[in-house]
Amino acid sequence: MKNRLKVLRAERDWTQGDLADALEISRQSINAIETGKYDPSLPLAFKIADLFGMPIEQIFLRD
Amino acid sequence: MNTASQPRIRKSYLWGAAFFIGTFGMGITARVLDWGGWQTMVAIMVPMLLLIPFIRSMEREKGISGCYSPAMRAYNRRAIVFALSYMIALFVAIMATDAVKPTGVLAYALAVLPSLPIIYMVYSMGKYLTDEADEYLRMKTVIAALFGTGVLLVVATFWGFLESFKLVPHQPGWWAVPIWAIGLGLGQFWQQVRDK
Repeated sequence: MKNRLKVLRAERDWTQGDLADALEISRQSINAIETGKYDPSLPLAFKIADLFGMPIEQIFLRD
Repeated sequence: MNTASQPRIRKSYLWGAAFFIGTFGMGITARVLDWGGWQTMVAIMVPMLLLIPFIRSMEREKGISGCYSPAMRAYNRRAIVFALSYMIALFVAIMATDAVKPTGVLAYALAVLPSLPIIYMVYSMGKYLTDEADEYLRMKTVIAALFGTGVLLVVATFWGFLESFKLVPHQPGWWAVPIWAIGLGLGQFWQQVRDK
């Protein structure tokens, strides 16, 4: 699954560490999601969507 | 990801190597030189203490690479308690058995004493998996644990048949945990290499 996490993060001038802190997860998890190595669970995807104030489908895209 | 502050050779690898080589080396030396129970235990206690700097350096490096969590920290603290209490339990069981030559219930109690810290370790691993709030780190640990289980099944099956055909000597069942733990470590290392 593709995602726009890196772009959205950059738009807000957030580091991976900032995003990790906001989501209460590790920086390595953010890196794994951004690089497509790991697809987050639905609860985490909703948490990410809530943080960016966007619907999930605008952040996570079908391959 | 910021890995600039990571040294070329990780300190934790060196501490880990010192811990494993020291512990196993001392155990083998004790067997070869036919040391007694308590001398062996005291000798092994020294390299066992290397576990503390090993875990601390691992924690520092995981913190730098952004893959450390409160659940991991709690697990590492429990691991130190497990390792040291295991050594003490083994020491007490061997010493008491040598000194008292127990029979009946006491013999059984002393024989199972060293297994109690290992059971605590199994519980501790389960607790880590339920406590870990970071689903990616949890998944990586589950994969490593499954890898360790696979290694254990392969080694036990392989050795079991060699033993059945009387080609190798019998080995005690407690080898299951060290073999599983080595497999867990290999699983973690494999994921680390794969993700680079």
